[in-house]
Amino acid sequence: MSKTANALYAGRKRTNIIAMTLCYAATIFGLMWLTLILASLLINGIPGLSLAIFFENTPPPNAQGGGLANAIVGSLMLTTLGVGIGAPVGILAGTYMAEYGRYERITSVIRFINDILLSAPSIIIGLFIYTLVVLPMGQFSGIAGALALAVIVIPVVVRTTEDMLMLVPNPLREAASALGMPRSLVIKQVAYRAARAGIITGVLLAVARVSGETAPLLFTVLSNQFWSLDITQPLANLPVTINNFINNPDPNWKKLAWTGALIITFAVLSLNIGARALSKSSQSK
Amino acid sequence: MTIETHSSSQSSAALPMRERISVRDLRFYYGESLALKNINLPLYDRKVTAFIGPSGCGKSTLLRVLNRMYDLYPGQRAEGEVLLDGENILQPGIDLNLLRSRVGMVFQKPTPFPMTIYDNIAFGVRLYEKISKADMDVRVEEALSKAALWKEVKDKLNASGLSLSGGQQQRLCIARTVAIKPEVILFDEPCSALDPISTAKIEELIDELKSEYTIAIVTHNMQQAARVSEHTAFMYLGDLIEFNETSNIFTTPKDQRTQDYITGRFG
Amino acid sequence: MTDMAMTSHAASGASAERAAVLQKLRGRDTLFYWMTRIAAISVLGLLGAIMISLVIGAWPAISTYGLSFITTVRWAPNAMPTPVLGGLSPLIGTLITSIVALLIAVPVGLGIAIFLTELCPPRLMRPISIAIEMLAGIPSIIYGMWGFFVLGPFLAERGLGGNLSLLNASLILAIMVLPFITAISRDVFATVPPVLKEAAYGVGCTTWEVVRNVVVPYTRVGIIGGVMLALGRALGETMAVTFVVGNSFRLPSSLFSPGTTISAAIASEFAESADLHQSALILLGLLLFVLTFAVLTIARLMLMRLEKQKGA
Repeated sequence: MSKTANALYAGRKRTNIIAMTLCYAATIFGLMWLTLILASLLINGIPGLSLAIFFENTPPPNAQGGGLANAIVGSLMLTTLGVGIGAPVGILAGTYMAEYGRYERITSVIRFINDILLSAPSIIIGLFIYTLVVLPMGQFSGIAGALALAVIVIPVVVRTTEDMLMLVPNPLREAASALGMPRSLVIKQVAYRAARAGIITGVLLAVARVSGETAPLLFTVLSNQFWSLDITQPLANLPVTINNFINNPDPNWKKLAWTGALIITFAVLSLNIGARALSKSSQSK
Repeated sequence: MTIETHSSSQSSAALPMRERISVRDLRFYYGESLALKNINLPLYDRKVTAFIGPSGCGKSTLLRVLNRMYDLYPGQRAEGEVLLDGENILQPGIDLNLLRSRVGMVFQKPTPFPMTIYDNIAFGVRLYEKISKADMDVRVEEALSKAALWKEVKDKLNASGLSLSGGQQQRLCIARTVAIKPEVILFDEPCSALDPISTAKIEELIDELKSEYTIAIVTHNMQQAARVSEHTAFMYLGDLIEFNETSNIFTTPKDQRTQDYITGRFG
Repeated sequence: MTDMAMTSHAASGASAERAAVLQKLRGRDTLFYWMTRIAAISVLGLLGAIMISLVIGAWPAISTYGLSFITTVRWAPNAMPTPVLGGLSPLIGTLITSIVALLIAVPVGLGIAIFLTELCPPRLMRPISIAIEMLAGIPSIIYGMWGFFVLGPFLAERGLGGNLSLLNASLILAIMVLPFITAISRDVFATVPPVLKEAAYGVGCTTWEVVRNVVVPYTRVGIIGGVMLALGRALGETMAVTFVVGNSFRLPSSLFSPGTTISAAIASEFAESADLHQSALILLGLLLFVLTFAVLTIARLMLMRLEKQKGA
């Protein structure tokens, strides 16, 4: 009796050890990918890293040297514009959901739709902006790309704004209303202030999300070999430049593409970590 | 359900008392459920009126009708009349923000705004008045002095309101309320989150404030009601059971339920 | 008496002033309300607009090919007199790569989540969580490059297909959705009331038995929701797949052969397409959108159900 119980127990213990070992293995497996990808980026990207990257424009094919200055500036413009358009819309929409429309049915519908948009394939957004903006304008343009990015920014910001405003305690709103504050001032001066760190985190996450986006730019801004600040024309940008250069046999282009990939990845990851640190510091406060 | 206003309360006062707020046949609903049943009650000018009763009796609900705080939430509505200086504040079209600037409120938990001590006070004032920095400084000092907080914070007006202790925060909230010069101040269990020393300070403050304001206070602490108020309303299950001078309520309650409550038999 | 009359007069004077101030603010108050409301409704409008623009763009292809679009393999945009365009191979490629990716990522993701909630020393929990979530932060084009230059040759050397294959695409997708599965599983595992786990440990269960018999059953709906969410991501992932899938419009014979997916087809051909070819690509986009919409809807409904259960 006790022998079988012991055997049974030993078997259970063995299963447990196997299962737990597999969990350790899964974690190591997951971390391994991160290490491998970051290592490839460093190995292939660092050799091309120089000041010229930031000050010289993309070179013609089969040339030497050159940099990514026009692509970096174009990407900064696209991201700034996209977030500049998308974030206010997202914050306002999130405000409606958490403040005015908190108890309305339409808010749960919007939340549902927003969650779908949050995970919608970004290439679809590209198609949407292509038919909405590129076709009527008759050409690819920076503004079309910025709008595509804005469409991606909106759901991210809506989500975090709503969540963060929901965390603002109601007594704070009541206290402001009790002074006779009109509702819009209660929101702008008290609720926004209380949720500020969270809302900024959301915007930073949106910046991180769009600054690496490639698919929606492929047929909205296209890219540009040259220096340009004109948003009504195709605009150079880092992701599409990487995409074009990496698929080309020219070794100089390939090198630049790896360096661009290194820059973009570390920029995005730092933004992510920064946003996380900000939200953590605001939570502990 | 209706109660008589006892004539003794009129005769014993030295001065004739003016009804600042008159609650008449007030019924209040949370959705379908009736939370206040035909309340009739006066609040006298420059007197403190305490609302007591076991939790869920509707005392806080009644308070939140007086500045229509309930309007922030859907599904809550009031019927009947609440007259403030003869004007029915329940009628549609009344300016709620104006009403709330006249009827201030201090809450159960201290609710300083996430800004500096100075701005906590100046914030509300700025809304209604365009005044110079120097005048604002005077107003801030005045309000903080009235709330007996000036001495403690005068050297750190730029510190966050959240950096103060609980009792100080509550006095900051009182200062914030008096800074915009209301006529009536509602206190919703203002000491329930505070220690005894802070509680004593707040009670002292209420005693001083009544020389200028009409005050209503909800409290679950009967001793507090006895200490700070001239009149007391005992409520039970959405009914106003008894309203009288505080001394009468605590010495010779007319209703058995009042007696049971103040002697600690339930609640 | 006179004193009282005066104060009351002064008060009404002040309140008239306040009323005037508030009157002025009322316009701005209403404006702000409508700005937020319009922004909120435009979020609703956005989804509708996307749907409508896709349907309009896809209409020429829909009316030309009808249902045969999803049963035809041949993709010949330059065929004469009219292009022959069938979406079956990208549709199948999309489904195969996504499903294989999930078959890999789900067990690994759950394993990591179990590690994080049950085994991990508290000190390491945060760094490991962040490291795994960083995988979600890496831009998808980087995955594509890495798959093309590193993983592809690695697989080819070991005889697991060529550089470009459905397997390569599936593996890359698996790495990409891994952080989503891990994060959601970890979050739903945290919703298990500690008392349930303690009770199971109390009767002598091993960690694995607690996970299998208490944690997983309790959070089943949430896990499935998370998996569906990851599926939604995998279906629509573009750049990573475009680099490694081969972009070949044929029915794949095995996982080792090249193929294509909807998003890869759009990404590689759209910029140079016109007329019916372009319309067919938009139609593929519409199919992808409907597919992800359905998957994401199911995912959200399941996660919502879990939230309700938690709230109750």
